Amino acid sequence: MNFDHIDIIQSTIDGVLFGSIYALIGLGFTLIFGAMHKLNMAYAASGIAGAYTGLMSLTILGMPVLMAFIIGPVTAGLIGLLLYFACFRFMPRGNQLAPLMASIGALFFIDELIIHETSGSPMSFPAVLPDAYFFLGEFGIRGDLLMVMGFSFILMAIVMLLLYRTKLGLGTRATSQQPVAALLCGIPTHRTNGTTFVLAGVLGGFAGCLLAASVGVLSPLLVLPLTIKGLIVTVIGGLGSIRGAIIAGFAVGAAEGVFLLVRGVNERDIYVFLLLFLFLVFRPNGLFGTTINRD
Amino acid sequence: MTYLLGIFQTIGVHTLLGLSAYLLLLTGQLSLAQVGFFAIGAYVSGILTVIFTWHIFPALAIGAFTAGFFAFLVGFPALRVKGLMLVVATISFSEIVRLFFFNLSWRVNVNGLEVGPDSTQGFREIRYFAANGWEQIHIVGLIWFVVMVVMVGLWWLDRVRAGAVLRAVGTDELAAQSSGINLTMVKVAAMTGGGVIAGIGGGLFAHSTTYVDHHTFVILLATFAVSYPIIGGLRSVMGTLLAVIFIQGVIVEGLRFMGDYRNLIFGLLIILVMNLRPQGLLDGHLLEDMKKLLGRLTKGEKADA
Repeated sequence: MNFDHIDIIQSTIDGVLFGSIYALIGLGFTLIFGAMHKLNMAYAASGIAGAYTGLMSLTILGMPVLMAFIIGPVTAGLIGLLLYFACFRFMPRGNQLAPLMASIGALFFIDELIIHETSGSPMSFPAVLPDAYFFLGEFGIRGDLLMVMGFSFILMAIVMLLLYRTKLGLGTRATSQQPVAALLCGIPTHRTNGTTFVLAGVLGGFAGCLLAASVGVLSPLLVLPLTIKGLIVTVIGGLGSIRGAIIAGFAVGAAEGVFLLVRGVNERDIYVFLLLFLFLVFRPNGLFGTTINRD
Repeated sequence: MTYLLGIFQTIGVHTLLGLSAYLLLLTGQLSLAQVGFFAIGAYVSGILTVIFTWHIFPALAIGAFTAGFFAFLVGFPALRVKGLMLVVATISFSEIVRLFFFNLSWRVNVNGLEVGPDSTQGFREIRYFAANGWEQIHIVGLIWFVVMVVMVGLWWLDRVRAGAVLRAVGTDELAAQSSGINLTMVKVAAMTGGGVIAGIGGGLFAHSTTYVDHHTFVILLATFAVSYPIIGGLRSVMGTLLAVIFIQGVIVEGLRFMGDYRNLIFGLLIILVMNLRPQGLLDGHLLEDMKKLLGRLTKGEKADA
């Protein structure tokens, strides 16, 4: 195989653009982890489920394409709230295993529900900007991926604003630092956690829709890879670190693009996972993790 | 009869998977790498009997040893981080193993037949049992013999110091560390032990089904592996066996008439059990109650005599 620096830069560009989806998913994982110090394994699945409902509203009710980007995230937010009540709200505080296991159960429930409803076959998602393709010197940039990236930046800005400029964000950050102290200060921690789940769910719904729009199909096969990539992004970025998740999302996307070029599609993921182990050995806290061995 | 033996076979193999996860869960670590070790055991022992035409027992032993060795290797980086990050690390490990075997093609001519793992086509020719005149009842006997040995071993472990150390780490890491327990060593030891158990399970699985491919070793199987001890409860090895019989025997086989819906029920069941019994079905209170009941019964008999 022969490739010069242009190929490599081109794959990096594609990877970074695609990485914005990973960044969104990683952001959602990290938000939930930051709030409750628990992992919601069903999170990416809820995003994909949201994208499915968005797509259904297009095909069954004949709504315009943009409606999918409203209905999808709203449903995903609702699923997020349901997940909170089903897997986290009533679990003993000190028990880590039970909510984790319950959310894994929810992951497979959502996955199987999608497979059951669609008979497991992929459904095509309408392309948003099918013909847009820009040239930047020698490099080409897909218009829809550029839109995906722009969309993600807007969403990230909104999340940042919510967290650092509003009272709700103050409550969320307080709950994440010291749940008991936050409760003593009159912050309704359960409601705050619920809101975080809804917020993260909406993000996941957007990520699911954007993923479907840029890949062109929705398939239950997307659920597990998206979950795993999102988790890797979260760990590489540092659990609970928001800017870490965003940066790691783009970085993992770029690495994936390069590995795809160099090693082909069958082996691409092996190297992404090895990258994770590299981080676990040399920087177990990720890029921006705070304390060692935080749980 | 064949059908019943088939169920026993599945329950046996899944019990081994569950027990391998149980050992690590005692230290409070949730690992989804069990399916990776299972796959290593399956492929290594399969390659040894098929390509190198070894006898089944050394092949199983080497498969288990290799799986244990990889568990040891993965244990060090993975167990430096704890709890939730370990989940991510172990998922990645299982996927690396799966993708490795997905890409592995090693076709060799043995006695005029081309055999060996054929990447996406899977590894088809693991016919040691059939070629050497083993009946299904012998295979099931072998699987359950291994299950019994492992269960007795783990039961015994709970009655010696090593088991107490494992549970100490699982209950409170900080307190365990303060009492001079080397956390990393204990966890890596548990991981290695789990890897060996999963490796034997994998070898037995590969030889009893005669065919494995990368679809077998997806994360779903790892989820099953950890769900058995968690649903059954970590207080006793019997919990794992109980959960395997319940899930494989009742839900997967007993509800066969419900078709696809069984997978939905599996997910819902995990959520339900975790909400109602966060410590598992066979938790500490239930065990105490059973012991009391048993004590009263035997006392009653004595009084009668």
